[in-house]
Amino acid sequence: MRLNPALAVLLMVACAALLALGPLVLPPFYIRVGQLMLYSAGLAVAWTILGGFAGYASFGHAAFIGVGAFAAGLVEARLSGVSPPLLLLIGLAVGGACCAVLSAAISYPILRLRGTFFAIAMLGVSHVCAELNNNVDFFEGSLGLNFPAVAPKDLEPATFFYWLYLLAGLVVLLIAWQIRRSRFGAGLLSIREDEDTARMLGVPTERYKRMAFVISAVLTGQLGVIYAHSLGYITTDSVYRDDTNLSLIVYSLLGGMGTLFGPVIGAFMLVFITQVVLGRLLDFHLFATGLLLVILVLAAPGGVLGLVRSFQLRRRPAAAPAE
Amino acid sequence: MNLIAQTLADGLVLGGIYALAAVGFSLIFGVLHVINLSHGILVLLGAYLALIFSKALGIDPLLTLPLVMAVLFAVGYVYQRFLIQHAVDRSQLGSMLLTFGVALMLQNVMIWVFSPDMRNITPSWAFTSFHIGAVNFDAVRVSALLASLVLLCCLALLLKFSPLGRVIRATAQQTMAARLCGVNVRHVYALTFAVSAAFAGAAGIVIGIILPFSPADEATWTLNAFVVVVLGGVGSPAGALLGGLLLGIVSTLTAQYIGPSFPNVTMFLLLVLLLLVRPTGLLGNAFSASR
Amino acid sequence: MSAAPILRVDRLSKNFRGLAAIADVSFAIEPGSITSIIGPNGAGKSTLFNLVTGYLPPSAGEIQFQGRPITGMATNRIAEFGIARAFQIARPFRDLSVFDNVRIGALFGKAGPRDVAATTARGMELAAIAHLADQPASTLTVGQLRHLEVARAIATRADLLLADEPCAGLNPTETAAMIEVLRQIRSSGVTVLLVEHDMPSVMEVSDRLLVLDAGRLIADGSPHAVATNPQVIAAYLGTPEAV
Repeated sequence: MRLNPALAVLLMVACAALLALGPLVLPPFYIRVGQLMLYSAGLAVAWTILGGFAGYASFGHAAFIGVGAFAAGLVEARLSGVSPPLLLLIGLAVGGACCAVLSAAISYPILRLRGTFFAIAMLGVSHVCAELNNNVDFFEGSLGLNFPAVAPKDLEPATFFYWLYLLAGLVVLLIAWQIRRSRFGAGLLSIREDEDTARMLGVPTERYKRMAFVISAVLTGQLGVIYAHSLGYITTDSVYRDDTNLSLIVYSLLGGMGTLFGPVIGAFMLVFITQVVLGRLLDFHLFATGLLLVILVLAAPGGVLGLVRSFQLRRRPAAAPAE
Repeated sequence: MNLIAQTLADGLVLGGIYALAAVGFSLIFGVLHVINLSHGILVLLGAYLALIFSKALGIDPLLTLPLVMAVLFAVGYVYQRFLIQHAVDRSQLGSMLLTFGVALMLQNVMIWVFSPDMRNITPSWAFTSFHIGAVNFDAVRVSALLASLVLLCCLALLLKFSPLGRVIRATAQQTMAARLCGVNVRHVYALTFAVSAAFAGAAGIVIGIILPFSPADEATWTLNAFVVVVLGGVGSPAGALLGGLLLGIVSTLTAQYIGPSFPNVTMFLLLVLLLLVRPTGLLGNAFSASR
Repeated sequence: MSAAPILRVDRLSKNFRGLAAIADVSFAIEPGSITSIIGPNGAGKSTLFNLVTGYLPPSAGEIQFQGRPITGMATNRIAEFGIARAFQIARPFRDLSVFDNVRIGALFGKAGPRDVAATTARGMELAAIAHLADQPASTLTVGQLRHLEVARAIATRADLLLADEPCAGLNPTETAAMIEVLRQIRSSGVTVLLVEHDMPSVMEVSDRLLVLDAGRLIADGSPHAVATNPQVIAAYLGTPEAV
């Protein structure tokens, strides 16, 4: 890590404190934008544990948002007389558990695919989950699911969810950071770079891939649970969205694929661009995201942090000649 | 017995169309090693162009085929030569993302220009049907199928016997050697993409006359193409035909016997199964050396 | 000749549809030595390496590493026992720094992560690339990449290093540097088994030579003995001036 860990923690705490002040000073529109930014950042980091660290870019992570949200909603709807905070915790637990089971189960076949095949297979998973959700009555996807209000009584729901997203985002970031610094994280990076050589060097590639997949799925699902509660009512199309699938990739690509903070930067930037800059021009969103993707691929495949890094490298004195 | 025969017949008809819709995608994958996620959009572009041309010129949609194919040929050439080629030089994921981005942009443009509503280009003779034995065929679907088969044959003949076809196959099999023989590989790649786009457009017309379409369908047609390629094999019209027919039959059988809302599920399960068991498809890669 | 051999190969054969790539080869490698396998092109040197590391299963014969039979075992299992291979076509982790590359070896090498920092440092020093520690692997020259291959292999705490033509394509200065690295590795207690074509270097650094010709072992002994062996001269070395 280029930053001294203690310094990094201090910076993160400072940023978190600053962000926490948001709802106290911002108008309601910007509080909602802030919610979206924090939610997207959390999703982006969760995605990057599998996509950026291990190199398995999933084109279908929205599946886990949907599974987590609907699992939580279906269970919560059947509980009565339970206090709202507890309901949320149960929802998070159930959503996470369902995503864990689903991801663990499909990891066996799907992690045998590499690169583009894996990406498309995950897109397929997302579409299939969406289809089942919409067509099987039990999931109430087409009808829609109501979520109980869980915000404390004397707190504005918008503020509550803003802080909840901030907390959740920090937890996800912390987990990803710990992974990155650990032996597990080093193994994931080596898998991304050259899976066969990594295996030759003794990295337990199958086990590590599966762990990254499940962790990523669970965190994504739990963020989805929070999202569903913040909406109050969801249908299939609220959560199983192709633009989410795409955005998750763009966040990491924009900020810097493979880095820890890149996805956060990318998420903040993209949400800002689409919600604030292009806010009124709703029709423009797809076009703008697509255009951004095209520009990134052609001009800046390393994203924002990649540009920063190449700028740093250019300023570094020439390496010592080979012995 | 009648029901299953009818279902199979419907599946074959649908399958032929799937095959035409996928063959361009297959060719690009085999020759350029690019997964073109904007394939579905090119198909839809064909459908919308047919809509415009047939209204403007007052002719049957199927007759706009040559014009639409020509337009898409040009579009495809420029798209590949000046945009995708740069991403291809970087990485496979890069070209996938680029084409994904373009697909979204074009989808948005189509929504602006044509509105998100469903359209179709039903010809005037749409409602006639006939039967062979106990199986019912409807004229539009049959003509769509015939058009598909004829076009697939033309492509197969083009690839096998024409100079262009030979150059494409050579470049696909041994790119470096082709370069050393003086082949302008970028030009060949662009021509391949152009051919692929033309056929995608043709498929769009064929699809448009039997099904309602809207900009939101583009992902479905791209995914369909991908499944057909995985099923039947990369790079050949025969592989596309086999994969398409298989997909068509599985779709109709699922719709009939499991439920009309589940064709995607079965298709996807079939896809994953095949990716695990035989990822090169039933006919394998048409451009790789024999084992 | 008192220590037990670290690698023992007994009557090893490998056939590819009737062609005997390796025929009835037997030898034993002493721990702490540098042994070179030489021979004309097509003699079967790479096949022999592939058999020892488990890439290919033998058609007949046995391989023992540190007394333990490893015939036919999977590559990564063999790697766990302490055999590491440095490839001619280096496969570095391009986006990671040299330090991080070598560290992977130390983290996941034989007997799990112990003294990771020390092992990583040692690997880099033995391979003489400690000064490149922070550079991304993608910026290294071919010669430096070969050193990285070796460093990473050493960091796995391997007891036997199989080096596949480490000097191929290197200029004389780079070759000398690589040979020096192999010497350092031997001094640190790791046994080296080498396939190489650069005859002067091979003669200079090897404790023992094995000569393969058309899949058979035609000579096994000290460099001088092998160089004056008429059979070897006939098959490969040409004139005595090459010594």
